[in-house]
Amino acid sequence: MLSSFKGDLKPFEELARSFAAKELAGKTEGHDRYPFGEFFHDVLDKACEAGFLGIMLPGDLGGTGGSIGTLCVVLGALCRADSSPGGIVFTNALVQEILLAADARDIAGEIFGKASSAGDFLVAFPSYANPAHQDNLPEYRRSGRGYSLTGPVDLLVLGGLARRAIIPARTGSGHQCSFFLVDLDHKGVLKSEPVFTLGMHACPAVDIRFDGVRARIVGEEGKGDEYFDRVSPALHVAAAAMNAGIMRGSLDEALAYARERFQGGREIIRWSEVSMLLAGMAVKADVAEMCVTLACQALEQGKAGWSSRCTASALHIHEIACEVVTDGIQVLGGNGYMKDYGQEKRFRDARQVQALLGSVPARKLDLIGKVAGI
Amino acid sequence: MLSSAEVSNRLSGFPRFEDMSLSLPYAPRMPRGMVRETRKVVAIARTFNDEVARPRALDLDRKTHEDPDYMPRDLVELANRWGFYTMWIPRIFGGKGYNMPSMSYFAEEIGSVCLGIMNVIGVHYLGVAGVVASANTRLAKRILGEVVQGEKTGNPCLIALATTEPGAGTDVEEVELVDKGRVACHARRVEGGYVVNGTKVFISMGHVSTWTVLYAYEDLKKPSETTVGLMVKTGTQGFSFGTHENKMGQRVCPASVLVFEDCFIPDDQVLFSADMVRKFTKKPIREVTQRYIDYVVGATRPGVCAFGVGAARGAFEIALRHASTTTMNGTLLINHEWVQSTLAEMYKNVALGRLAYTEANYANSHRGLYKILQLKPVYYYLRFMPQAYFDKVIAPMLEKDYSTRLMGKLSYDWTRPEDQRCCSGWASLAKVAGTDIGVRNCQMAVELMGQAGLRQDAGVEKMLRDIKLLQIYEGTNQLNRLNVFKCLIAPEIPQARVFEEKM
Repeated sequence: MLSSFKGDLKPFEELARSFAAKELAGKTEGHDRYPFGEFFHDVLDKACEAGFLGIMLPGDLGGTGGSIGTLCVVLGALCRADSSPGGIVFTNALVQEILLAADARDIAGEIFGKASSAGDFLVAFPSYANPAHQDNLPEYRRSGRGYSLTGPVDLLVLGGLARRAIIPARTGSGHQCSFFLVDLDHKGVLKSEPVFTLGMHACPAVDIRFDGVRARIVGEEGKGDEYFDRVSPALHVAAAAMNAGIMRGSLDEALAYARERFQGGREIIRWSEVSMLLAGMAVKADVAEMCVTLACQALEQGKAGWSSRCTASALHIHEIACEVVTDGIQVLGGNGYMKDYGQEKRFRDARQVQALLGSVPARKLDLIGKVAGI
Repeated sequence: MLSSAEVSNRLSGFPRFEDMSLSLPYAPRMPRGMVRETRKVVAIARTFNDEVARPRALDLDRKTHEDPDYMPRDLVELANRWGFYTMWIPRIFGGKGYNMPSMSYFAEEIGSVCLGIMNVIGVHYLGVAGVVASANTRLAKRILGEVVQGEKTGNPCLIALATTEPGAGTDVEEVELVDKGRVACHARRVEGGYVVNGTKVFISMGHVSTWTVLYAYEDLKKPSETTVGLMVKTGTQGFSFGTHENKMGQRVCPASVLVFEDCFIPDDQVLFSADMVRKFTKKPIREVTQRYIDYVVGATRPGVCAFGVGAARGAFEIALRHASTTTMNGTLLINHEWVQSTLAEMYKNVALGRLAYTEANYANSHRGLYKILQLKPVYYYLRFMPQAYFDKVIAPMLEKDYSTRLMGKLSYDWTRPEDQRCCSGWASLAKVAGTDIGVRNCQMAVELMGQAGLRQDAGVEKMLRDIKLLQIYEGTNQLNRLNVFKCLIAPEIPQARVFEEKM
């Protein structure tokens, strides 16, 4: 939908669609078997070649130089087929936006400017948490000219695949967090096996424990929460675009099934109860895409006061996405619950996407705090 | 004041008072021994949870992802050793004869830890219901007797029930739909029995059951009038298993594909057929078949409600533990008002779900499948007579044709249509309510817990995966809502038609 309003996004959308058709369609169940099956390194390499791992990163830093709209059309098209690659693209975009918000172009240039493969491009980040809401961040202390980190990080997304991570940490006494660049190959880094989670199995996370690991500050000390807040509205919209894509995929499959499956002597789409389910899904899928479209336009135009509206839209989209994927299974009945179809994965993935950037209740409280100015 | 005739007149208006609150008239009629028995059942379930279910649930789920062909044979043996497969088989058939409503409380307990494990135990009773509701006492005695023997010898004997076909799910649950559906499991009458060809799908515990209650059709163009119930033993020539379905949740409980190729079933394994039905009732076979379906699902759907309530409670308990041990902004989550409100909402859902299955069980206890068992004299007679009496005096009678005819008359001829509607309607109402509540609570718990809720090792994401199936099996909740309308609302509206929509 967004590309209908902004023609320059059409090539990106087409690229992502053809990538999804070629690399993801029909293979999602196999990809989703990770960590009990193979990881799709080949797909990731091709995603990197297509420029998906640095969509919003400026060209001079090794990125594609796209806008939030570009990121959203790519995420929507990918997640319509399989949200795991979307989760990887999202996490890398989140890292890059934080580096830019912190004006750490030097670090971004060092990482992405010289990157030649997906392995070089990936940077891990605890994407399911807002550091401001976490009481148990690792502790940092000055160590010579640099810093060192000690403590745990749960669900570090891409932590088992990337060589580097951006990690939020606090001092023992401070409340404000700071971001640090960490080498995950350092001997003081203890990694778990990939954590088995609800959805997006091929966008894996690990639990990490740091023990006096050398770290490089990102931006200024104590400004981590501010950087996160600055990038948060756009990344909320990006996560919403993922769920809008999942909703579209769910509707596609439900419609196709309802046209073919017979019950009581006719196609189930011709029973009004099923039609009503499908209508509800269609309404929500369209509303979600319109919200993403408008939010992208507002963000790109830098409209004042739209940050909280973007976050609100995203929260709403996640909520209706979880409803759509539930109905998406219902339309397919028993088949919808089986891995031979895509609906059960979407049911899991939509919840996983909803949890990006922190817990829903905490984000709602944040939102109303900002709206009310308290 | 109103005369008694006026009172009756007022109470017969919609909603009829006797359908409104089942516990009000029926609770006082409940034998008091049922309470003691149910307390014992819940205590057994809690012990099993601590000793078996809780320590294994997450590991087993993980194991099924590592090995999608995993079969829960160890678990079945354990459940058999605990005596779970005969607990709700009536004593006249050699079982322990616990009161049927107590199974719902049991299901809630085990379901609060793992729905998959509960299904490994519970779906056997769907098969038992299929056997008992047929009124075929001779075959019931034989099959249920094997289950009892299986417990004594340590070789579990479970019963699966097979209705769903690749082309027909919802259709096979309603005679109004089945004639228009795409059923394909054919039973051809031959000398001495039937020859079956066809495929059944999504059959819980098929691979690990000894017997399967199989429904097939003599005439695929008129399935509602030619339904045949057959008992098929695993290993019978022409009966094989296809793939093991790859489900989102409840993975410890296999869903099997059953394939029948020229599978001969002898007459002595025919559970239900038009010929048999004609021996005890003159009612149209179509009507009796719907009654048979209603008896089975009317008894088992309140159980599915209890499964859902179990998951709702499990999600609540996990969220409660998380909130009691996790801080946000320096304060324990449990001390945030929004968390207290969320937990209270979840607790409320559990309590309302429990009321729903309790009401549906009252319907069955006094107007449905096992109403005879719940009459006080019968209840105490069955409870206190020595087992040897049933084995030596009653059991031989069950072999006789008059026994089946009597059971058939009691179940199909001497019953009121309004009782059937009440039981079936309440069963569907409870099933929808309990399973929707279960899904809702699991969703709330995942949201409340944030990233911790996404982890398999935290337990609640598995519950969300497990619970979703309950909105689908035993009739989708969409079908069950229509059944609520058909049974509890439409009879009051003469112009209402169900399953006849023009579009």
